Amino acid sequence: MLSVLIWVPILGAALIGLWPAAIPASRARLGALVISSSLIVWTVVLLSQFDISNAGMQFSEAHPWIDTLGLDYSLGVDGLSLPLLALTALLTWTAIFSSNESVERPRLYYSLMLLVNAGVVGGFLAQNLLLFVLFYELELIPFYLLIAIWGGTSRRGYAAMKFLIYTAVSGILILAAFLGLTWLSGSSTFDYNSIITAGLPLTTQLILLTMLLVGFGIKIPLVPLHTWLPDAYVEASPPVAILLGGVMAKLGTYGLVRFGLGLFPETWALVAPGLAILGAISAVYGALTAIAQKDIKRMVAYSSIGHMGYVLLGAAAATQVSLVGAVAQMVAHGLILAILFHLVGVIETKVGTRELDVLNGLMSPVRGLPLTSALLVLGGMASAGIPGMAGFIAEILVLQGSYATFPLPTLICVVCTGLTAVYFVILLNRTCFGKLDNNTAYYPQVKFSEQVPALVLAATIFFLGIQPTWLLRWSETTTNAMVATVQLNVNHQLANAIAPTRSYEAKIQLKTPIQKELILTP
Amino acid sequence: MTIATETKAKLPPSKHEFAEVIHRLEAGGAMLPDTPENLMQIIGIYKAYAVPMDFYWRDLLYIAERVFLDPFPFFKYFIPKEYLDLHNHYAGDDADLRIWRGEATAHPELLEFMEKGETFKMPKLLHHWLHDRVNMEFAEECMRSMLWHGRDMGWGLFDSYLDSDEYKANADKAIKAYFKYNPVMMALYKAFPDLFLEQCRQMSYYSNLGLFWEIMAPVFFEMSDIYDEGGFKGVPDAMNFLVNGIFAIAGRPIYHHVYIRGECYEIIPKSKGFMWLYEAALPYVEAVFYRTSPFRGTKSYNAQAKQVPDDQKDFHYGILYADVFPVGTAGIPPTLLMQDMLHFLPPYLVDYYRQHCRGENDMLIQLGITFQRSMYCVTSAVIQALRTALLYPLDDPNPKHLQANRAFFEAQINRFKRPEARLRNIQAQNYR
Repeated sequence: MLSVLIWVPILGAALIGLWPAAIPASRARLGALVISSSLIVWTVVLLSQFDISNAGMQFSEAHPWIDTLGLDYSLGVDGLSLPLLALTALLTWTAIFSSNESVERPRLYYSLMLLVNAGVVGGFLAQNLLLFVLFYELELIPFYLLIAIWGGTSRRGYAAMKFLIYTAVSGILILAAFLGLTWLSGSSTFDYNSIITAGLPLTTQLILLTMLLVGFGIKIPLVPLHTWLPDAYVEASPPVAILLGGVMAKLGTYGLVRFGLGLFPETWALVAPGLAILGAISAVYGALTAIAQKDIKRMVAYSSIGHMGYVLLGAAAATQVSLVGAVAQMVAHGLILAILFHLVGVIETKVGTRELDVLNGLMSPVRGLPLTSALLVLGGMASAGIPGMAGFIAEILVLQGSYATFPLPTLICVVCTGLTAVYFVILLNRTCFGKLDNNTAYYPQVKFSEQVPALVLAATIFFLGIQPTWLLRWSETTTNAMVATVQLNVNHQLANAIAPTRSYEAKIQLKTPIQKELILTP
Repeated sequence: MTIATETKAKLPPSKHEFAEVIHRLEAGGAMLPDTPENLMQIIGIYKAYAVPMDFYWRDLLYIAERVFLDPFPFFKYFIPKEYLDLHNHYAGDDADLRIWRGEATAHPELLEFMEKGETFKMPKLLHHWLHDRVNMEFAEECMRSMLWHGRDMGWGLFDSYLDSDEYKANADKAIKAYFKYNPVMMALYKAFPDLFLEQCRQMSYYSNLGLFWEIMAPVFFEMSDIYDEGGFKGVPDAMNFLVNGIFAIAGRPIYHHVYIRGECYEIIPKSKGFMWLYEAALPYVEAVFYRTSPFRGTKSYNAQAKQVPDDQKDFHYGILYADVFPVGTAGIPPTLLMQDMLHFLPPYLVDYYRQHCRGENDMLIQLGITFQRSMYCVTSAVIQALRTALLYPLDDPNPKHLQANRAFFEAQINRFKRPEARLRNIQAQNYR
């Protein structure tokens, strides 16, 4: 069942890209839309068949591939990856739908879009570490090309190369960590479920986990590993930015939780305080930098850094509430970022600028872009965590779940949700309100088809905000099980810590709030 | 063209910011550039304006003369047949001065629209509630502007007459007669006479504006017909028709009669000699084209915000200054006027709008800007009429006289130096 999600887009990409006769752009687009729609349908089927009470992998597929390398074609889905699969399917369709109908080199463009989808989905499904790395790298080149060829200005080559170098380093670090992990743990395979890190020395675990954190931290990205993001997001066309921020970045957060938390439950608690502080720093940095921006796309890009900070905080705290909140935040962030990038793209196409100092009065009902503006207001509200929308549910869970563990970083993140409102009020006030310039405001009308992606995303954001069960139910069991593993392993560590063989280890371990709490618990 | 050459020969070029416009006025032209596109737009919009105007003037007179001080005037926009059949004094066979060659009763397109609206035939009350009707709100806003700015404008004697003892006595008679069988209202009148008097003054302005538009409607109908027959060759022709019309009907009396139980009460008798040009046309242009007031939702009335000037004379919110782009926001009266005109656009103007900007979707704004252009033409006619009345001919051989004319034109155009004035915009065709 799961292979369909990987092979249909790959075969679709091949079909569109290698079709012998020249096909018009509209046909390529239609083909890509049909394929992405079929992926949505298939994901819905998966959702309907998914057992939410089962914390383990479901719909597993395993086929031996290169035994000597320990590489198996092993797939599976659980509550952590399922919501992200659904998000990827929806955002791929959104990105394809919102692509310019007269895009140049349509066959290559839509093929690459579908390849990106296949790579990301493969990453979410892979149950073999090498297979994960393969998929992780698979989406790298398509993204590079999508930015370099269809990017915005003359800086697109620079942005694409910067993205390529950063994410290639990310891939190398992750590969090195996985190789080290497998070899040092004495495992004969890269199978995720077979690898046990418990026997590794703490220092080794720390080194391997740090490599993973830096690798995935680049992908997310976390401050200070973020510098590729503003250039890539801004230079990429809006549909590619949707995939970059909405889908690809999730591969980073997913990897962090799946492999960081999942494979190093003992060591996670050690690095968690640092991660929480990094999360808070990312949130503050993202918000303050967004406030200073004059380009609305760059503002949205920086807001993304801020919001990924919440995911990191929730994952670092690793409580039942915060972890489910972190997964929810991944989904909500993907949806909200996608709607914002789409709308920014619409505004840029129609008005011809993204400059805050030039934009004005777009809410004007007849000559402005009223529905686009209204949806932008909605996107801004969702991003600022206004109740009734998906962003609120995710953020409140992260903040509520993290407070007991990391009060100060959580409080800083609470302040940052306020700062989110600040820069979105700036954005909306300058963009949507005020007067249209009589000399320049002759913008083409936004067609209904151009509004469809935003309407679909807005409806989803509302639905998940009003009915949050549908956001949380898929991942609750899995994340609860992960949290239980972390706590169990922490207990083991504590038992060792009571009679420490090395005093510095005990000091480090006793500093973490989870452990303090557990010491008091009989 | 001959005049222009002569004028240029006798006076050095103007150094005014709008020198081009000044030279055009000196050549007998209008503030609006003379292009076939401008001519087509302004004539088309005159036609679209004239049909609802035919409703406005009839209803304004109905309210002034019949509804009068009704404390609950729920049905004041429901014109009785008597007023729809009321003969316009400037159209039809029995006209005092036949300006329009059409019928004196309500325009057929108006009657058709009143019956069906945008939707379909249904009871009048439902059309009213659905706003599927001619919107009198704009007309009343114009009337209120004239009333409010009346004291300050210095035009004519009509407004000062409203404060005279004679007016008060006439109004008192009418008010007492109107509430003869209504002891509650009569008691209120005794307690608050000024309140009723002020309402009566407002009714006098209803009548004033109704009588003004009674003339303008046939003028615009006739201009449309002449254009359809290929009669106007350019914007100056259209403007000159207006100038000639202004002089032909300048003396038309402005009065206020009220009919109570079959008896006519002359609150402002015709014998007072108030003339159409000085007591209606000029105050109307000043109050409505130049001043009016900012509509709710477009400016902050908070004194600290300083978005509304302290002195009425500094008000410049009229159609010559209006930013038409955001119109449509809050159902404010100009939007309602545009909505009214939208129903009666001639086909050539609809085609024209379809070819530009957002086609049918922003027709309301496109026609608003056309309306703005057309009102610059009307204002040009008023300026030329005033120049004719107060100063010298354009082909006067005396350079001093021409200099006086230029000083007059420059003084008039100085009012459009304000940044919000649209004179600069209308010079270009791509302002639409």
